[in-house]
Amino acid sequence: MKNAPLLKIEDLRTYFYSKSKQAFIRSVDGVSLEIARGETLGVVGESGSGKSITALSVMGLVGGGPGVISGKIGFKTEKTRKNLLQDLDDHVKLAWDNGKIMGVDKDVVGWEKNAGRVMSGVRGKEIAMIFQNPKASLNPFTTVGSQITEAIQLHTDIKDPLQARERAIHWLSRVKIDTPRLRIDNYPYGLSGGMCQRAMIAMALACEPSLLIADEPTTGLDATIQSKITDLLAELKSELGVTTMLISHDISVISRLSDSVAVMYGGTVVEYGPARDILASTLESKHPYTSALLESIPTERHIKAKEHLRAIEGDVLDTVNIPAGCRFYARCNRVTDTIREKCERHEPDLREISPGHRARCWLYFD
Amino acid sequence: MKNYTQISGEIGDLSGLPFWKKADAVDIAYVSYGLLIVTLVVVSYILGAFNLLPRDPQDIDLELMMAPPGTVGHLLGTDYMGRDMLSRLIVGIQAYFLPGFLAIAIALTFGTVLGVLAGYRGGRFETAITYFTNLVDSFPRLVLILLVIAAFKPDIYYIMIVVGLTNVPVVASLIKGKIQFLKQKNFIEADMALGLPTRTIILKHILWHNCRSLLIIQATLGMGEAILMETSLSYLGFGVQEPTPSWGNMVQVGANYFMQGKFWPSTAPALAILFTILGFHLLGDGLNNILEGKRNR
Repeated sequence: MKNAPLLKIEDLRTYFYSKSKQAFIRSVDGVSLEIARGETLGVVGESGSGKSITALSVMGLVGGGPGVISGKIGFKTEKTRKNLLQDLDDHVKLAWDNGKIMGVDKDVVGWEKNAGRVMSGVRGKEIAMIFQNPKASLNPFTTVGSQITEAIQLHTDIKDPLQARERAIHWLSRVKIDTPRLRIDNYPYGLSGGMCQRAMIAMALACEPSLLIADEPTTGLDATIQSKITDLLAELKSELGVTTMLISHDISVISRLSDSVAVMYGGTVVEYGPARDILASTLESKHPYTSALLESIPTERHIKAKEHLRAIEGDVLDTVNIPAGCRFYARCNRVTDTIREKCERHEPDLREISPGHRARCWLYFD
Repeated sequence: MKNYTQISGEIGDLSGLPFWKKADAVDIAYVSYGLLIVTLVVVSYILGAFNLLPRDPQDIDLELMMAPPGTVGHLLGTDYMGRDMLSRLIVGIQAYFLPGFLAIAIALTFGTVLGVLAGYRGGRFETAITYFTNLVDSFPRLVLILLVIAAFKPDIYYIMIVVGLTNVPVVASLIKGKIQFLKQKNFIEADMALGLPTRTIILKHILWHNCRSLLIIQATLGMGEAILMETSLSYLGFGVQEPTPSWGNMVQVGANYFMQGKFWPSTAPALAILFTILGFHLLGDGLNNILEGKRNR
């Protein structure tokens, strides 16, 4: 029996209006995801497939600029229950001409105010986020400790500075930073990339959020540190049971931590289901994109046979001119003659191909 | 076998030390000199304000015109009307102290507000503010000041308001640039994701933690600039008007006697200007190095 979902994204569309192209860049184009309490959802895909924008949309951080969001993001805990995208549409006016969008009039201030109102009490407190490039995510001119303490004082009942400091030290040791009592007074430049990421994790977890969004937490770290951070996340997951949305293009990280996996391509989810089904090494019943991604991971077999690694041909989908048919059609190597026409003309929907396992591919539809 | 002696105590971690122990000797010297000058300026201001002077600066003594430095009762000599140079130097700071602060306050306040709006908000704000700052920047400052003097009166406060306003674009563009640079690093986004209120992000994380060195430098430069501007205007005869002493008009009047070998009426205020401006600049420089600059080395 599955838990009730903590976060339920329904048909999320995040578009950016490009003035020069007079068109929308459809970064996220109809994504529906669910994260149950205590579960880790891995979101995997190439750069530019809309993973990070999905996360930022959840955080309400697609603020400035010509971003337009529609859809519904339901967020439900014991205490709160809200749609994180409530009323955002009121602040955007679209100018239509002959079915083409000619302009976007966005009330940026009102939009941000609205996002701020809806997200207050959620950002940081209920949903925390870890970013890629941890060194840049910490304020370089103040100590790590003061940043964690600030978050603790803001979001938890601990208001006393000394107690908050003790709490910060506790969390720093929890994320396995050695000598946390010394490190808490370090500036970010004095910490290595891995330690900065640990500090970021400590800062995110210190307010005991219901949901943790980890946006490529291991990117930009070297390989040994990557695996250590992955270990840490796995450990925290088993100890604290944090609900996590893990975004990465590194399938090994995803496979270690995720309970369920969503594979994204060109702003849509192309395959979604339990991790063991999707990341299993067999080719059976898998979206061609997923299998191509899995094949591009170096394995022992590749190394022994001195084979070339298989890269996916072509480029990531141009999200301005989206083709009528399947988004992956141009790069797909498993198109058969019987379905070729369907692939070219019609976009498949996300259909269940085995219990709990959904894919967006004509191969599996009869 | 060799014996290695164990050095006791912790190694390498400077972060626990108070900041003055981490600083370079040069910076300490800069700041000490700067603080000395600031103290002198403040003391002179107070002395002048409460009229605690060796002599009355307006007291004309026709018996003792152009007395050289060291004359009994006149440590720095007297000027062409026999007025005491030292007293006039001390009172002269009155012309700069409050007006200078006014100029700095105007430049920093408006500059910061506009800079934050342009850098943090971006979009139309940035375009509008850039046009405005370019407009202000394109006016020759001296001409603007002369216009204001012509329209109102040659008052040091009017002059300093103009000096402050014309410094607004400088501060605004510095702050704007800094914020745009900071926005590329994503800790601001991380702060937002943490749910910090915008007020905290701007005031604490951006301005206090990342822009204070910039503001300190601008403040100290601004004081030096205020003094220099008054001096230039005095030389044109538009500064503080005689008989009220200012260092600028003392130099201007004294310069007429320089070629006759009577150097002190102009040299004393000129040196005062030189050392004061130097003091403010070095103070800003040293403070910046001590508080911020060396951190990333």
